[in-house]
Amino acid sequence: MSAAAMEMSCPPTAELIAAVQRADSSQGLLLATQALAACADPAAASTLVEVLGFNNPGAAVAAVDGLIHLGPGAVDALLQLDPENYGARAWAVRALAGIGDVRGLELLVDALGTDVAASVRRAAAKGLGALRLGDLEPARQAAIQARCLDALLAATADGEWVVRYAVVVGLEGLAKASPLEPAAQGALKAGLQRLQVVSAENPTVVQLRAQLALDHLSPP
Amino acid sequence: MLSSGDGRPASTGEGTPISEEEALRRLRQTSDPSQQYYGAWWLGRMRSQHPEAIPLLQGALRLRRPRDTGAGVEENAVARNAARALGKLAPAARCAIPDLLDTLEDPDDGLREAAARALGELQAPEAVAALCRRLSSGPEVAGGQRSDSPRLVEPCEALLEALGDIGVATPEVLAVVEPFTTHSRPIIRSAAARTLLQLSGDARWSGVLVELLDHPQLQVRRAALMDLGAAGWRPALEPIGRTLAENSLKLIALRGLVEQGKGDPGIPELLACMDSLL
Repeated sequence: MSAAAMEMSCPPTAELIAAVQRADSSQGLLLATQALAACADPAAASTLVEVLGFNNPGAAVAAVDGLIHLGPGAVDALLQLDPENYGARAWAVRALAGIGDVRGLELLVDALGTDVAASVRRAAAKGLGALRLGDLEPARQAAIQARCLDALLAATADGEWVVRYAVVVGLEGLAKASPLEPAAQGALKAGLQRLQVVSAENPTVVQLRAQLALDHLSPP
Repeated sequence: MLSSGDGRPASTGEGTPISEEEALRRLRQTSDPSQQYYGAWWLGRMRSQHPEAIPLLQGALRLRRPRDTGAGVEENAVARNAARALGKLAPAARCAIPDLLDTLEDPDDGLREAAARALGELQAPEAVAALCRRLSSGPEVAGGQRSDSPRLVEPCEALLEALGDIGVATPEVLAVVEPFTTHSRPIIRSAAARTLLQLSGDARWSGVLVELLDHPQLQVRRAALMDLGAAGWRPALEPIGRTLAENSLKLIALRGLVEQGKGDPGIPELLACMDSLL
């Protein structure tokens, strides 16, 4: 859709923001957030980030979708979030994981290593395998890859199967995104092999996903 | 300090790790029930293989007493957690099946519920007759609401699901379970359909569950997700994906489709859907 067409099909962003702030019911907030997310205007970012703190999961999902759609334009607003607001931070991790902007690196590493909620660690693990590094100079690219790899390898020992599953997906994404140095490549594969091992503590679904990742990385 | 729910102590979470020795010591002492409660929970959560764990849990299960006094609730809280822990210690805890069968006759329905779930986890065919007997008066009586609380006369959901987990698919068992698919509470209908799907593999019961994925109450949609996962019903992949519920629960359900199910859609499609929900 062209910018002109979008302007015609979408009320002014200020009106949509006002509607979110006016919403006085759970359903009303959900609908207003969906409308604001759909306008795809970077000016909506800070209001969408505010919605993450409203303790309304439906609206937060819509806001996360909208923020991911805004992409790098939403990152500043996300990083300004109050770190004490735990609920909002959990949603912000999901948004940053979906956007893949390297400015989210520290928050994702911290979330994967320390967040108490498995759903947040899970999103962070996937996000660390999906950062967009293409435009960076090689030395910076390698440094960020190394940070992602270290964080993901440490999380192969996470106590929750779903986080280890996401770690597999993150490691596979990291390896596929851009070439790794041989030592890093070896460490990454060793991490996947640990998660492929049959054991009572490691559910079959994690083993199967790790096998699939190893197959993808070493075509026969 | 004692809490209901999954039996995890409210104030002593994973923030204060203890050793296996310490968990056994807490369960062994008898002066502080809240310590015993935590010890029992810990042994199950950590899947303890210590030779003393199961005998101590059996002992804690025998400490139950009538629920009518304040002190009685404390004792039964320990017994409830002991039953739950024994279920987690399958298959080693099969030697505790007689104790759990006794507990299934306890007047405390919360204890009967915990015992039924543990017997299901231990896949104890010895329990089928007793589980069926508890349910045999049907949705109107066993599934009727108690006069003194919103709870049902029997812990129907746990009893039904235990029958599915144990997996004895005789016509007698199916005949006991089937009437519960018309129970007035959707959670009970879901549990009954799951059990029938597990026992018979008959696709018509999956229809009941898939329909409940659209139920207006989130709690019911969550239950139907868990039940489709437990039954490993792979044709439900697409409806599970679009259910309005947390991705965490959809991921658990899809893990069930991968691990418990067979046929189409195959593993690659199931894993691709899981990847998209992370």
